Amino acid sequence: MARSVTTRGKAINTAIAWAVGLLIFFPILWTILTSFKTEGQAIAAPPVFLFFDWTLENYAIVQERSDYLRYLTNSIIIACGSTVLGIIVAIPAAWSMAFVPGRRTKDILMWMLSTKMLPAVGVLYPIYLLFIKLGLLDSRAGLVIVLMLINLPIIVWMLYTYFREIPGEILEAARMDGASLKNEIIYVLTPMAVPGIASTILLNIILAWNEAFWTLNLTAAKAAPLTAFIASYSSPEGLFYAKLSAASTMAIAPILIMGWFSQKQLVRGLTFGAVK
Amino acid sequence: MSSERPNGLFRNIPAKVAAIPMIITALVVFMGGSLWTMAYSLTKSKLLPKWKFVGLDQYERLWSTKRWVVSIENLFIYGVCMLIASFVIGFILAALMDQKIRFENTFRTIILYPFALSFIVTGLVWQWILNPEFGIQSIIRGLGFTSFEFDPLYNADIAIYGILIAGLWQGTGLIMVLMLAGLRGIDQEIWKAAKVDGIPTWKTYLFIVIPMMRPVFITTLVLVAASIVKVYDLIVAQTGGGPGISTEMPAKYVYDYMFGGQNLGQGFAASTMMLLAVLVVVIPWAYLEFGGKKRG
Repeated sequence: MARSVTTRGKAINTAIAWAVGLLIFFPILWTILTSFKTEGQAIAAPPVFLFFDWTLENYAIVQERSDYLRYLTNSIIIACGSTVLGIIVAIPAAWSMAFVPGRRTKDILMWMLSTKMLPAVGVLYPIYLLFIKLGLLDSRAGLVIVLMLINLPIIVWMLYTYFREIPGEILEAARMDGASLKNEIIYVLTPMAVPGIASTILLNIILAWNEAFWTLNLTAAKAAPLTAFIASYSSPEGLFYAKLSAASTMAIAPILIMGWFSQKQLVRGLTFGAVK
Repeated sequence: MSSERPNGLFRNIPAKVAAIPMIITALVVFMGGSLWTMAYSLTKSKLLPKWKFVGLDQYERLWSTKRWVVSIENLFIYGVCMLIASFVIGFILAALMDQKIRFENTFRTIILYPFALSFIVTGLVWQWILNPEFGIQSIIRGLGFTSFEFDPLYNADIAIYGILIAGLWQGTGLIMVLMLAGLRGIDQEIWKAAKVDGIPTWKTYLFIVIPMMRPVFITTLVLVAASIVKVYDLIVAQTGGGPGISTEMPAKYVYDYMFGGQNLGQGFAASTMMLLAVLVVVIPWAYLEFGGKKRG
């Protein structure tokens, strides 16, 4: 806000902001640092911060005990697959709600969004039974479908808010020129909404990447993604903090790196489109 | 737009067709699944769902189970504290940041990082930070305050607040960024006018700016509320419901009875209760937001 902020005031604000930022980032930093310690150093009291013997052995042990790449592949396939599928289903729906609104559009949108708030446990068992019947239990295809369904309301809602900002006249002009509906959506609407679609995709990948409730309950060994990988290293006694930290670091690194290089989309996506 | 003509149903066919996959999804999966669960909550299902009607027996048993009552209490404590604390902290931080700060984009990214992590990671990290032997307590004791005590996860009376800290860490950044966006949307003239009239800054925030930010508050409220009801993975990763049953949550109760306790009917009844609780909150909100205005 342009309320005459002095240079000194600006410096103080920046300092406070970064102190808060550091405080918030500290647990993540700590986890990353711990992953390079030995188990002994990890639980040393008082804790050692930077001056310890850096080691990579935790990573080696974790990789040996459980095949990181397999979990990573599962995570990537599940997160990307459910996102692509979701976008394909959501774009026509968002298009129709944004440009051809009917009397019921608002109701449908509200209804869609409220399903996102229903407790997932309520539909867990029916879906579980369905998965057994269809042979989808512990399969990547099954998880792709479930996560697509779970996140669809959010995708539709976000795309709808982006599409609404695009003037309908442009689409009408395309139609006048004889573009078919399919071409109108693929060649006119989608390119104009690329920033919004990118944020939506990023948000959805993160949501799917972190989804633990469904992935833990519907997978066993074959299709288990990284959330299951970390969970398998947790023990209530906390005997393996260094290894647990290594596993956690390996699981969160892709998101942290991807987020760093797409900061604008990340902020826009994670705030569900509220921050432009 | 809305048409009163009798052929209204057949207008804009492509638009309706385009929305069908989405509507079917919502209808079949969410409504169908929830109704199925509701129906079977009235049965005596044990290991497998069986249609043996017993009326409201499962609900009677549910409410006389201590673990369920504790779960509901915990959800209530966690929910109320989470809402109040995250809104207050988020707003104060946003107001602080609402001046020009350097590297703002990077700052926002870092603030949002916890929100981009899985609850599983959050739970594990905080399980450790709050561990008295090598977490905060040991650091502060190491500084010389040897009688300092901070072990929320090992004290059944306050364990739920240990969960709350982790939840706040994960969620407050999101709220701050949303509120910051809301503050930025406020017209500059308002600040000038308030200044000319000699209104103190805190009064300007409280009586002018905050009421103007209503839409932002509602979006935030919906997002936070939805995440509160679902809280499951955080508990599983951080405390596993312990010590004892002191950090149990409804979602975990449902899950444990359905898959661990082999008592499906009980799990169905509990999840139906959760569903009803959500509806009690969602329906009034939906009417406020979508019902009254802009209709017709």
